[in-house]
Amino acid sequence: MSVYIEQELTFKKYFQNIWRAVSSVFKGLMITSRYIYGVKPVTIEYPDVKEVLPPNSRSRLYNDVENCIACLQCAVACPVDCIYISSVRRDKEAPKLKTASGQPIRLDLTMYTIDTALCCYCGLCTTVCPTECITHTTDYEYSQYTLSGMKYDYLAPEIRAWRTRLVK
Amino acid sequence: MASEHKSETTQEYVKEERLKTDLLTVNMGPQHPATHGVLRVEIKTDSEVVAEAIPHIGYLHRCKEKHAENIDYRGVIPFCDRMDYLAAMSMEWGYSLTVEKMLGTEVPIRAQYIRTIVGEMQRLASHLMFYGTFAIDLGAFSPFLYAFQDREFILRYFEELSGARLLYNYIWLGGVWNDISDEQLKRLENFLDELEENIKKYHSLVGENAIFIGRTANVGVISKELAYEHGATGPVLRGSGIDWDLRKKRPYGIYDKFDFNVIVGEGLKGTLGDCWDRYYVRMMEMHESIKILRQCLAGIEEGPIMGKVSKVLKVPKGEIYMRTECPRGELGYHLISTGEKTPYRLKVKSSCFTHVAMLPELGPGQLIADFVATIGSIDIVLGEVDR
Repeated sequence: MSVYIEQELTFKKYFQNIWRAVSSVFKGLMITSRYIYGVKPVTIEYPDVKEVLPPNSRSRLYNDVENCIACLQCAVACPVDCIYISSVRRDKEAPKLKTASGQPIRLDLTMYTIDTALCCYCGLCTTVCPTECITHTTDYEYSQYTLSGMKYDYLAPEIRAWRTRLVK
Repeated sequence: MASEHKSETTQEYVKEERLKTDLLTVNMGPQHPATHGVLRVEIKTDSEVVAEAIPHIGYLHRCKEKHAENIDYRGVIPFCDRMDYLAAMSMEWGYSLTVEKMLGTEVPIRAQYIRTIVGEMQRLASHLMFYGTFAIDLGAFSPFLYAFQDREFILRYFEELSGARLLYNYIWLGGVWNDISDEQLKRLENFLDELEENIKKYHSLVGENAIFIGRTANVGVISKELAYEHGATGPVLRGSGIDWDLRKKRPYGIYDKFDFNVIVGEGLKGTLGDCWDRYYVRMMEMHESIKILRQCLAGIEEGPIMGKVSKVLKVPKGEIYMRTECPRGELGYHLISTGEKTPYRLKVKSSCFTHVAMLPELGPGQLIADFVATIGSIDIVLGEVDR
């Protein structure tokens, strides 16, 4: 609604305006010119130089299935329901297994799949895990050609082979 | 309707030349860079003068409120982040305060300090973003890059704290996720000295520039009455000369401990409540944030960072409305609980929504270029408008 009515332009005001504009632009250029020399570039040339993320950065999830007790707490905590778990009761005759933290494994995993395309990287699953087997890694290069390629089955041997690369 | 808003110069021109003109409808957005996201403004133009501006929202609607009814209280926090993605910490803080008040949880003093630190840093990051994008709207590109250098420090700092750059999920019910180390506090102190100098420099680069003043002074004037009528909050309200800041008037958290000023627009370069005033309020607010951060660094105490919150969270029956001062204005959460594991209803009152509603009042009579400046100066984030 507000229309600004311009004041009458006098001869003096005309030159005042020019002086004001030139002086303030010059002042701005002084600040800009300081950045020409002696300032290090802050960008990195990505594929050649890779950024190292902070250690608790939340990137691709990794589940160490050997320590997993299939308690389903991560699947319950997940706000977008992207963790799919199924398990069967372990045979009584089978050799007894224990996790790294000493908890007995009573259930055998038959599926542990995370749909990384659905995952919102909130980190809630990692905090509820009692054996700390599901963790966020700092690996951020995992683009895929298809959406189904983002579904990671952590029981598959080629994904379990990440362990040496990702988990510290 | 439209003919009322025709500017006088155009009407005179039409009378003289006996030309028939018609209003031309132009869609600004939803992929227009000047609308800060996916806002579509349907503009009826009369030559280059806006005759009518109708904002259309809803392009970023993600059913946040409905989602919240189906997930437990802790799972709502990542969704709160995604509302205002430029000030995610403030969104989380508001939600956490709401649920904590229902539960009656005591938040440890160290967690309160950390919350204040990250909240004020988020305000700095958000205002730096405003500074950059507002300058881009008006055709200056380099301020954007300067602002991003400082913002990058804050984002990196948050990444070290929480693990993510934008969507933190850091402020939890009862406290915060990770503790802050002494080394990080030291680094923040050094950064604040640097930033204070930088903000002064940035202000002299843009705010004192004659071209910038020419583009923003007397443009998009929001009078006190208009701001009251529409329920504007935050820097938009303060830019119109009304002294209202929740941190001062209704202190939440530990804001009553700190000494800071509320910046109010004064109409220094033009009319009270114009674009320059809103810019000025935000720039000066950054200095106040730095002041608060310094007091936080001096007063932070050792102690636990998480209060006692049961693992399976059941919020007692009841209803609450809680509001906090976010970088863009007041954010209110209305939570209704029936004693279940999930909220019965979680209504979010967003400040950006009310500010977008002011556009039809501000648009008519302006040049299109000035209208872009007006949208930039109210600093909306469409994620918060649509939720």
